[in-house]
Amino acid sequence: MAKIIGDKLQSLPKYWLFAILFLVTSIPLFHPLSVPTPPDDGSADLYAHLMQVPAGSTILLASDWTNSTRGDSKGQFVAIIKILADRKLKAAIYSTADAQAPRVARDTIAEINAVRVKNGQPPYSQWNDWVSLGFYPSAEGQLSSIATDLRKAFASKTEQNPATGEQQDVFESPVLQKIYKLSDCALSFTITASKTSDLTVERLLHKTPLVLMVTGVMGPQTQNYYYSGQIVGLAIGVKGAYDLETLMAKGLNVPGGIVSTKIPASAPPLSNQTDVQSIGTLFYPPLQFALWLLIIMVVIGNVGMALSKMGAQSK
Amino acid sequence: MNPGMQDFLNAWYPLIKLSAGVFGTVGLYSVLYKENKFYRFVEHLYLGLAGGYSMIALWTETLDDTWYSKMVGKAATHADAAVPGMWAYAILLPIGAMGYFVFSKKHNWIAKIPIGIILGLYAGQQVQAWWNHYGPQINKCMQPIFPTTLASFTVPSKVGLSPAQVTAINQNIYPSQALSNLIFVATILCVLSYFLFSFELKSKFFKGMTRTGRLALMIGFGAIFGSTVLMRFTLLIDRMYFICIEWFKQGILHMR
Amino acid sequence: MEFLAQTDPGFWFGQPETMDLRIKVIGCLVFGFVLLAVLLNVPSRWRKYIVGAITFFAGLFWILQFFWPQPLHRSPTDLPANPKEVVSFWLDDAVPVVSDFTSILTAMLTLLGIFSLLRVHLGRLFKMQKDWAFSLVLAIAFVCQATFSLWDYYDRKANPQITAGHGWHIQNYMSDLLFDGMVQQFEAAMFSMIAFYILSAAYRAFRVRSPEASVLLGAALIVMLSYMGVVTQWDGFVKSMAGSNQFLLNFQLSVIRSWIKDFVQTPSIMGIEFGIGIGTISMGLRLWLSLEKTGNI
Repeated sequence: MAKIIGDKLQSLPKYWLFAILFLVTSIPLFHPLSVPTPPDDGSADLYAHLMQVPAGSTILLASDWTNSTRGDSKGQFVAIIKILADRKLKAAIYSTADAQAPRVARDTIAEINAVRVKNGQPPYSQWNDWVSLGFYPSAEGQLSSIATDLRKAFASKTEQNPATGEQQDVFESPVLQKIYKLSDCALSFTITASKTSDLTVERLLHKTPLVLMVTGVMGPQTQNYYYSGQIVGLAIGVKGAYDLETLMAKGLNVPGGIVSTKIPASAPPLSNQTDVQSIGTLFYPPLQFALWLLIIMVVIGNVGMALSKMGAQSK
Repeated sequence: MNPGMQDFLNAWYPLIKLSAGVFGTVGLYSVLYKENKFYRFVEHLYLGLAGGYSMIALWTETLDDTWYSKMVGKAATHADAAVPGMWAYAILLPIGAMGYFVFSKKHNWIAKIPIGIILGLYAGQQVQAWWNHYGPQINKCMQPIFPTTLASFTVPSKVGLSPAQVTAINQNIYPSQALSNLIFVATILCVLSYFLFSFELKSKFFKGMTRTGRLALMIGFGAIFGSTVLMRFTLLIDRMYFICIEWFKQGILHMR
Repeated sequence: MEFLAQTDPGFWFGQPETMDLRIKVIGCLVFGFVLLAVLLNVPSRWRKYIVGAITFFAGLFWILQFFWPQPLHRSPTDLPANPKEVVSFWLDDAVPVVSDFTSILTAMLTLLGIFSLLRVHLGRLFKMQKDWAFSLVLAIAFVCQATFSLWDYYDRKANPQITAGHGWHIQNYMSDLLFDGMVQQFEAAMFSMIAFYILSAAYRAFRVRSPEASVLLGAALIVMLSYMGVVTQWDGFVKSMAGSNQFLLNFQLSVIRSWIKDFVQTPSIMGIEFGIGIGTISMGLRLWLSLEKTGNI
């Protein structure tokens, strides 16, 4: 009897699993839940560093993600752009991972701006607040060039000045006017789903503070950089996006905010709390159910194996 | 554009766009049941669209500015001075063309020239890259494994203490910290010993070390598996959000 | 020693839209293709050395750039004071040019993959081999996407209001539909399917059969639990039981998870990375010195 039950538990049809997975990942989307979880140290450190950057500074942002990792990376990108827009920080956006990445970044900013305009906030505008510096297939060469001479690395890049309607050198834009070398950028962000995170650390280390925002699968390896002080902030997967949204809403180590025992710095919540919670907050509850499903199925499989062994031994 | 067409697109384009995405998503997911012609149709559609976009994006995002504009320069406008052209960039076209000889049976060795340039440049960077990558991590591995004080086993609480007292606590290594650091150093040495294939490890001590290293590796792989699961489920949740919320709830039912 | 990146127009530069520059560009192209024609006739015993020499000198640039003393606080008007500075200024000026060359060559070789894809499918289509209809779908999709994307790109350059979302024409709608509406969604769907297979594989294969498997499963469970709300529930329970007892507070799941992450997980992954790093540097040296046997030339 034990063997029969054990064998049945180990051979549930895979379509049942697919159907249950489909249900547990879609039903919670219709009924958003709150899942309080403390933010990771890397996310808290990232938020603290970003909130300390003086207004008007320029951030170098490598947007190395496309829709293949939209679930993880889009939430991170959206959170960063919202913080930059709120704090009036400027972004010089480039990519070294995928030819589609620059357009994905531009389209995502357009989506954010559509919501900002609808809520009566000024848009995060191209040329005045951010510039798109294009795609560079050779990440190794381009990052070395950025480290050596940032102006020459992006020489001949042009963008449309909305005031004149003409293509102008990006270094004439308000974003890059005062930037002559990499150390003039307050921070360098890399939002990536590939090994450009490693390449960035290898080539830009000690030139400017580095922040990495990676997908879940790269989290454990990238943790080594944070642990050894090579980067000043780290956001991993949708949890990283969720942490940032929580910190944007509540602040860090401030009255009424999230308390971190390991990160001593404090940072207030965003001044404008409209539309702070986004992809991270939406996707985190269904993730809980999906993870519970996985754990339950692994337990069922192992219980089945144990029962089968018991049944075989008793014979 | 024809005003009638414009009105039609203003009203229906967002839903058409969402529906095209749902059509493709459902088509690709149909392979979970079994391989079928609908899946193959959507798969080839995706390959064609992605290939076409990548080709154009390589020109618009990279080659147009980085190669062509630099090669031919830019005439002066009332906003910018003239930028001279660097004619030597033209040599890259024949060098790039060498890569296409990979399809030639007789001359395919020529394709190794541009590949050799790229691999040579990559290999040359590895010295600096290696040190920037691993140097700080090797430094961080040098952890103190002997306690400097036995006043308390664990680190005392710093709540309510003066800065001078907190500094005094931070300067000491307590036995619990030394033990944790010892576990850290032992783990990394055991894992590294697992990769020693240059000579046979015969003694019981080394065999124990490699076995411990193997167990430690399993902890690392378990962490990687857990994170991988997190990411893959998030990608699926994103698709479910697209279908259920963006298309069905907001697109079809017009509910926000 | 002047190089490509000097600011004064010299031998390497030409004024835009002048016959002088056009002649130089055409001359350079002709030289390049003549060089290619010469290489086609090189005896086979020289080929290995040509490729090896090119690879070596390409790598030598970055090795020199790392080891040679670099100029500090160099201003644009500084001139080299001695031979050492001549080389260091030259290397400094060459970095952006070399990285441009690398990006451009990599882009051209990426097009090789697309060329290969088209070659296979167009071959299947014209020979009417099995599943030629799908190859036709691919070809049509390719042409449509390429056409509308390029049209949209130049349209946006000429008409700034299109980027702001106004005055779209058919090419803008089609480019948006094909890229945002289709490619992006299809790509996301393709990568998300793995979630189903991970669940199925974990259910069927994740068995506690050995100590190693148990440790792996335990570590994976701890990582997954740390992302779940159960952490907060357990931590709240521990805090309420511990009160002011600092030792008992260490039994919070978040503290245990953090300790395992910092003192067991991190060093094990660091060890793996060090092993990979030793392999990477040795492979880099072998590639640079052409010691790898990558097939017959």
